[in-house]
Amino acid sequence: MLAIAPARPVALPRQEWRADGRALARRLQSKYSDRITGALVLPARAGRYADVPGELPESIVSALRARGVDQLYSHQLEAWEATQRGEHVVVVTPTASGKTLCYTLPVLAAATLNQSRALYLFPTKALAQDQVAELLEINKAGNLGLRASTFDGDTPGDARQAVRLHGDIVVSNPDMLHTAILPHHTKWAQFFESLRYVVIDEIHTYRGVFGSHVANVLRRLKRICAFYGVHPQFILCSATIGNPHEHAEALLEDRVTAITESGAPSGEKHVLLWNPPVVNRDLGLRASARSQSTRIARSAIRAGLKTLVFAQSRIMVEVITKYLKDVFDHDPRKPPRIRAYRGGYLPTERREVERSMRAGCIDGIVSTSALELGVDVGALDVVLCNGYPGSIAATWQRFGRAGRRQQPSLGVLIASSEPLDQYLVRHPEFFRDAPPEHARIHADQDLIALDHVRCAAFELPFASGELFGMLDPEPYLELLVEASVLHREDGRWEWIADSYPAGAVSLRSVADGNFVVVDRTDGRQTIVAEVDYSAAALTLYEGAIHMVQAAPYQVEKLDWTGRKAFVTRTSVDYYTDAIDYTKLRVLSCFELAAMGDGSVQHGEVHVVRRVSGYKKIRYYTHENIGYGPVSLPDQELQTTAIWWQLPLAALERLFGSRQQALDAFLGASHALHVLASLAVMADARDLQRSVGTGDDSWNVGAHRRALQPASASTSPDAFLPTLYLYDNYPGGIGLSAPLFDRAREIVDGARALVERCDCKAGCPACVGPVLAADEVLEITPKQLAVRVLAAFATPA
Amino acid sequence: MTHLARLRALRRQAGATPSCGPPLPMDATTAIATPGACAPLCRPADAAKGKADGAAELQRRVASLRGLLGRREALRLPPGLDASSSRAPIGDRIPPGIEVAAGVHLIQCSYAPPPMPDAIHIAALRSLPQQRHARRHDPDGDQFVSGSRLLAIDTETTGLAGGTGTRAFMIGVADLDGDRLRVRQLLTTTMGGEAAMLRMFAAWLRPDHVLVSYNGRSYDRPLLSTRLRLARLQDPLAGMPHLDLLHVTRRAYRRVWQNCRLATAERELLGVVRDDDLPGSEAPAAWLGYLRGGSSHALHRVAAHNDQDLRSLMGLVAHFATFTGSPVHGK
Repeated sequence: MLAIAPARPVALPRQEWRADGRALARRLQSKYSDRITGALVLPARAGRYADVPGELPESIVSALRARGVDQLYSHQLEAWEATQRGEHVVVVTPTASGKTLCYTLPVLAAATLNQSRALYLFPTKALAQDQVAELLEINKAGNLGLRASTFDGDTPGDARQAVRLHGDIVVSNPDMLHTAILPHHTKWAQFFESLRYVVIDEIHTYRGVFGSHVANVLRRLKRICAFYGVHPQFILCSATIGNPHEHAEALLEDRVTAITESGAPSGEKHVLLWNPPVVNRDLGLRASARSQSTRIARSAIRAGLKTLVFAQSRIMVEVITKYLKDVFDHDPRKPPRIRAYRGGYLPTERREVERSMRAGCIDGIVSTSALELGVDVGALDVVLCNGYPGSIAATWQRFGRAGRRQQPSLGVLIASSEPLDQYLVRHPEFFRDAPPEHARIHADQDLIALDHVRCAAFELPFASGELFGMLDPEPYLELLVEASVLHREDGRWEWIADSYPAGAVSLRSVADGNFVVVDRTDGRQTIVAEVDYSAAALTLYEGAIHMVQAAPYQVEKLDWTGRKAFVTRTSVDYYTDAIDYTKLRVLSCFELAAMGDGSVQHGEVHVVRRVSGYKKIRYYTHENIGYGPVSLPDQELQTTAIWWQLPLAALERLFGSRQQALDAFLGASHALHVLASLAVMADARDLQRSVGTGDDSWNVGAHRRALQPASASTSPDAFLPTLYLYDNYPGGIGLSAPLFDRAREIVDGARALVERCDCKAGCPACVGPVLAADEVLEITPKQLAVRVLAAFATPA
Repeated sequence: MTHLARLRALRRQAGATPSCGPPLPMDATTAIATPGACAPLCRPADAAKGKADGAAELQRRVASLRGLLGRREALRLPPGLDASSSRAPIGDRIPPGIEVAAGVHLIQCSYAPPPMPDAIHIAALRSLPQQRHARRHDPDGDQFVSGSRLLAIDTETTGLAGGTGTRAFMIGVADLDGDRLRVRQLLTTTMGGEAAMLRMFAAWLRPDHVLVSYNGRSYDRPLLSTRLRLARLQDPLAGMPHLDLLHVTRRAYRRVWQNCRLATAERELLGVVRDDDLPGSEAPAAWLGYLRGGSSHALHRVAAHNDQDLRSLMGLVAHFATFTGSPVHGK
C-alpha cells in the first residue's frame, strides 16, 4: 500500500516514484476534503475467459496466437456464437474490453472461408485509421492475404478503384457511405454482391440529429443491398448507455441480440466529485472549475501520471492548455509535454498529437469530447472532466479512458457553476445511482426523412407501395414530384433532376458549409481551422479572439457568404465571449394542457437569434475589460417547442411589477432547463430556453439576467410572459413532445431544485447568477422563481 | 405566409447564402397563441407514422410537408421547368424517328463517309501516355484496324451530376456500313423505355468493335455501364477497346487552341460550322419538357446535334489517321 504522496514528487527520480490513481485520490481526499462531495471506488474485476472456438480457421487462430491471444473474453465468445447463428448483434462493454475482436473474428472467418466482404463504419476518420492498422497487423501475423483499407475523403482518386474492386474489408464512416458510396453503388456492385457483415462501432454517438440521419443512411444501405440480393448481418458496438439494445434496434429497425456482460478484467477505479470552493457565500459564487482542473492536473502530472483533461468548449481547451503550458512548457528548447486536441485542428496535426501521446512523450493532453471515443492515445492514469459532459453516460465514457493498464486509475468530475454540474456534485447519490441516459433518435423527422428519401430516390427508383425502413415514403415522393426532382411513371418514381442530392445533405449539422479560418499574418494565406456553421456567429465575429493551440488570433474580417474568417496572430491578454439575444413567435400549437393556474403548450415556433456584441475578458483575473459591437445577419430557426404561460389574473396576484414577473420567469426557466436536459439526455445546445414577453421585443438568450432590457414592453396590453424550451434544429428533433408529456414531473423537479438549494437569494445552481443588489431585495430571485413554479404545480 | 417566402426562410435557416430575396416578413396574423385560442391538434410525428389512408390523407400530408421543401437549395424549381406551363398540343408532340419498342424511337440516317484510310493504326493514334491503359485491353492495338470496326458513340443525358441518378435519354452510334456512313440514334420517349433502349444498343455491339468517343472513357461509358447495371443487364462495354479522341486532340492541340472541345476540333480540323445548334447544356431541359407533356421541337434539335457530333467523331478519326507523326504530334 502506498503512502500519501510527498509534496514535491518531482524532486524524486522518475523510476522510484510509483504513483497511481489510488495514491493521488487519497492525497486529494486528505488535502481537499471540503471540496470533494463524493468518492466512489469501483473494485477491480477479474476476467472471465473462454476457449477460442474450434470452428475458427487455423490461419486466424495462429494470427491470434502470434498477437498473444490464446483465450477469448466471455463476451467475445458470446458475440461469435450469436453471429454464427445469423443474428444481428450489439456489443455493449466498457472501453478497452476487447470489443474489436467481437467483430473481427466473424469478419475474418467469413473473408477467409467464403471470400465475403465487410464494411466498417466509424464516426471519425481517426478511429478508422486505427482500425485498419490493427487489421493489417492481424493479417500479417496470420498471413491471411486479406486486404483492408480506409475509404474516406482522404483516399486518393486512383486508390479508390482498387478499394472498390479488391477491398475485403472497407473501413469508412457514415458520411462517406452517404455521399460517395451509396450514390455510386453501381461502381461498388462486386463489393455489395459479396457483402456479408456491416460493422458499426460507437453507436452511442449516433443519437439526436446525427443518429436520425445515420438511421436513414442505414435504410438506404439496406435498400441497395437488397438490390444486389444480399442481406448483410450487422454487428454494432456501443459504450454504456441506458438503452443500447433499444437504440440498436431503432437504428437498424430490426431484431438485435445484445451482449452486455464484459468478460474483460478491469483495474480499480477511483472517482471523485469535486466542487470548487465557495468564494462568496452570499452570491453563491464558487471558484472556477478551470482553476481547480489545472490545479489537479498539475499535481497529477508532477506525480508522473499521464493525465487527460476534458474541457467543454474549444475555448476552454485552449485556456487550460495555455495554463498548463505556462507551468510545464516554459523551456522552448524541450519538446512539449502538454498538448491540446480538438476538432477544428487539421487532420495531420491531430495524428501527430495521437502519435506522440502513444509514444509516451506527452504528459498532459487537453481535449474536447473528440477524445471520448476510442482513439488510441496509449495508457492514461488520470482523467479530469472540467465540467459535467452533459450526461452520465459520457462521464463514464470519459473516465473509461483511464486505467488501460489495469492499474488503479482516477477520474475526477470538477463541477462548473452551471446548474447541471452543481446539481450533480451536490447529489452524489444521483451520480452513483442514476442509470446512464437513453439515446434517442427520430428517424422519421420530416426534414431528415425528406433528405434521405430524396437521396434514396437518386440511388434507385421507388416503386409504388415500397417502404423506406418503417416509413411510408409516398408523401415525400409526391412532394419531390412537385419540386421537379422526381418523375412519376407507371407506379415508379424516377430521378430526373440534374443534381447530386447527397452532396447537399450534411449528416452532422443543419449547416450548408463550414467556415474556414484563414491566417493572414505576414501576408500569408493559411487555413488554420474550421468552424461549424452553427458556431460561426458566436465565435467568428469581427474582433473575436480565436484560439488555435492556445495561440490567440484576432478575427479581422468575416466573409459570411463566402464562409471565411480572416485572422491575424495577436498577443492580447484577453479572450472574447459573445452576447446573444433571441426572439420567439408561436406559429401553431399542437397540444395544450392546463397546469396549475396556467397552461403548458407544445407546438411550432419561429426563433430569431442575434449576436449583438461581445465582452473582452482578461486571462487569470477574468474581469470584464470591454465590449465590442457585432453586426451579423440574424439566425432564423423554425422548430418545435414547449412553453408555459400564466393568465393575467395570476400574474397580478403573484407579482408586483412586470419586471418582477419577468425575473421570476427567467429564474424558473433556468431550473426547468436543467431538469428538462436531464430528462431527455439533450446536449445543452440541442435544447435552448428563452423567456418572451408576449410582444415583439428581444429576449436575453441565455444566462445574462443583468443585461435584460428593463423596458420590456412596448405595447402595454400585450404583456404575456412566456417560458420556452425549444429544439435547436430546424423542424425540431423530437425533444418537445416527450417534454410535454413529462411537463408536470419537470416542473415539480425544478421547484424542488430551487427550494432545496443552499443559496440565499439564488445562484447559478438554481435560478442562475444573481447580482449583489438582488440580495437585499424584499423578494429574492429565488423566491420569485418558486412562485412561478408553484403556480404551475397547484391543482387547478 | 406565401409558399415562396417560406421556401426562402427555411433555406436561410439551413445555412443557404442569403442571396435569394428579401428577409421573411413577420406575419402579423399569427399572434402569440393564448390558451383559449389554441385547439389541440394531432402531433405531426403521429401523423407521419400512420399509413396514409386514401388520397385525401396523402394530400394532407403532402401539404403539411410542403413547408419543408425550400429548406434545401436543391429542391427549388429549376427555371423554365414548371410542369404546368409546358403542355403542348398533340400535333407538336411528335418525336423524331419511328417507334421500335414501347417508349423507344429509332432515327437512322446515312451520309457520304469521310475519307477514311483502308486501315487505321490505332496504336499510332494512341501513342500517348494517357492511352497506355487502353492499349492493354486492345489485342489489335499494334495492328491496323479496318474502318468497319470503328463504332462512334455519343449520349445525351439528363445532366452532369454523375452517380446513379443521371440517365442517358439518347444513345447515338455511327459506323461505316459498306460505302456509307451510317448514323443510328435511340431515343426514349418514356422513362420505362430505357431498358429496351439499352438492350437494343447492346445488341449493336460486336466483340471486334473499337469504340470511338469524345471524353467517353470517363463520361459516356461509365454512365452507360451504370444504367446497364441498374437495368440488370450485362455490360458489354467494359472490356471493349476504346479510342477517346479528346485525349488525342488534347495532346496535339492543347497549346494551340483556347480549348479542346469537340466544337473547336471540328471547326479547326474539319471546317464544320453548325447552324442553329442546340447547346448540349439545353438537352436535359428539352427531354424533360417533352416528358412532362411539352413540345417535341427541341428534341428534334437534340437529335440533329447528336447526329453532327457522331459525324464529326468519324471525321476526326479519318483526319488523325491520315497524319503520320508530324507535324501534328511534333508540335
